[in-house]
Amino acid sequence: MDYGILIAQATINGLIVGLLYLLMAIGFTLVFGVMRMVNFAHGEFYMLGAMAVYVFTVHMELPFLVAVCLSFVVAIVFGSLVEWVVFKPFRHDELNGMIATIGLAMILQNLALIIFGPDPLSVPPVAQGVTQISGVYIPNSRIFVVFFAVLVLALLYFYLKKTRSGRALRAVVEDFKIASIQGISSKVYYPLGFGVGVGLAAIAGALMAPLFSVSPFVGAAPLLKAFMVVILGGLGSIPGAAVAGLALGLIESYASLFLSASTADMLIFLVVMIMLVLMPRGILGKGEV
Amino acid sequence: MAGQNVLSSTQSAGRGGQVVPFILLAVVAAWPFFSGPFVVHLAILTCLNILIVNGLSIIERSGQLSFGHSAFVAIGAYVSVLMTQYWGTGIVVSAIGGIVIAAVVAGVLGAIILRLTGVYFVLVTFAFAELMRLMLLDWAAVTGGANGISGIAPIDLFGFVFDTRGRFYVLAMVVAIASFLFMLRFYRTPIGQAMDAVRENPTLAESTGLGVYRLRLLAFIIGCSLAGFGGVLMARYIGYISPETFNISISVSLITMLVVGGRRSMWGPLVGAVILTPLPELFRGAVQTQHIFYGAALILILRFLPDGLASLPSRLRKLTRSDA
Repeated sequence: MDYGILIAQATINGLIVGLLYLLMAIGFTLVFGVMRMVNFAHGEFYMLGAMAVYVFTVHMELPFLVAVCLSFVVAIVFGSLVEWVVFKPFRHDELNGMIATIGLAMILQNLALIIFGPDPLSVPPVAQGVTQISGVYIPNSRIFVVFFAVLVLALLYFYLKKTRSGRALRAVVEDFKIASIQGISSKVYYPLGFGVGVGLAAIAGALMAPLFSVSPFVGAAPLLKAFMVVILGGLGSIPGAAVAGLALGLIESYASLFLSASTADMLIFLVVMIMLVLMPRGILGKGEV
Repeated sequence: MAGQNVLSSTQSAGRGGQVVPFILLAVVAAWPFFSGPFVVHLAILTCLNILIVNGLSIIERSGQLSFGHSAFVAIGAYVSVLMTQYWGTGIVVSAIGGIVIAAVVAGVLGAIILRLTGVYFVLVTFAFAELMRLMLLDWAAVTGGANGISGIAPIDLFGFVFDTRGRFYVLAMVVAIASFLFMLRFYRTPIGQAMDAVRENPTLAESTGLGVYRLRLLAFIIGCSLAGFGGVLMARYIGYISPETFNISISVSLITMLVVGGRRSMWGPLVGAVILTPLPELFRGAVQTQHIFYGAALILILRFLPDGLASLPSRLRKLTRSDA
């Protein structure tokens, strides 16, 4: 067995997984940046995105891409509404806000359980076959997912850097008081920030739906990953989340090559704890403290 | 301040105001003796939860919310059970072992992580709980891994075996009452009052000469020891433990009990445990409905009654007074 190919394969796999962590974590960190709220319901929005794709493709027989876009829109609207109705009193109230999101997570997960039942559902695959690039195998369905994840990130980058509303959102993340002096309205940008954040989680869920099965419980694992990425990258830091997301994907992939999966998991939690204590501002030092 | 307000308001309410909750509690506590085994089972779980949530409350009252409380319940349970299994120690030694190890782990962990505050502390305890669960799963040679440990013998205290529900209920109730009295007593000592001061305003507490870090460490150790004790009893009562017995959702429901009951009063953990422990069973067959109820209760309490149900009487009293 050639080690070069093994490592190349692990790198590709790590980057693919890392991209999805990235999508989850950027939404998570955006919500924290805007509202100072650690969103324990983030994984449930991932689940909602996956469920929405299931409903749109299987029941309504819409094409996959339309389904993904629709689930994003649904998540933004629903997320903004939830922020406005439920979380408005908890803005900048870190601890109570966080506990409130735990409540929301319980409600969402169990509503999904009532509606869809506990059994895993499957979404038809978007692409078949495998592509081979100089000895490295990549399933086409994954290439498809990576392509759209990159597209979403590019659009997000454009939105945050170039558009008026995206720049306002970043200003809110930086410093809400100064942003509001500049005429940025909290009425609009709190719900929008939350909506866009959970919308990204929903997109991640929607893209992953054809690769894995869908059930009301699928949100827990991505939530955990988002936590770890965001802690490593620094809470509230978008560039930090980007670097840490890809890094975590790669580390996991390499670690599973050389260590057992459970050892790798434990090591990562240990690293997360050490990072929290030693560098709470994250690897780029840009997170808020 | 608010913690003291609750205290002084119950005192100023006179004897009647103090006696009523105790009578109510005695009635609730006696009820299981006159009903079926299922009610006794729920009552036992409630008592154990009172003990464990009291521990969480001590940590919370020093200004830190622990999301890893279930990990210390797990430590208490596993250490005591494994001690009996491998060294054949009796329940007293095993229980002390479980509690001491929980305290030592809390001490070492707390010394490192108590520099963090707010959500950072929450996240690091969350990570610790996951780490603990993974370790218990991975170390299968000793802990039995995902299969857990079954057939744990009931408590045998100097020849008296707590093998029936009724007997165990008496034990659990004594422990719950003892932990409540401990809380009552503890927050009247200078150290307890210093901890309350730390929660209200750490900066002010520090500047008046209180060692915030040390007080928080002490609170963390005491709180986690109570959790460990709860774990010791729970393992012996249920007779089976596995890493999933102590997963994150247990931490979540402990926090729910504390928040719904009330974070700033002695009565909070008790009220939260008494109301929320039996609820899942009442909704049996519709677990989802119950969880939705939990979630909604959490949000509504945070929104409209941030000091929990325990603050309801004093709130009502204030309302009626302002009406008059």
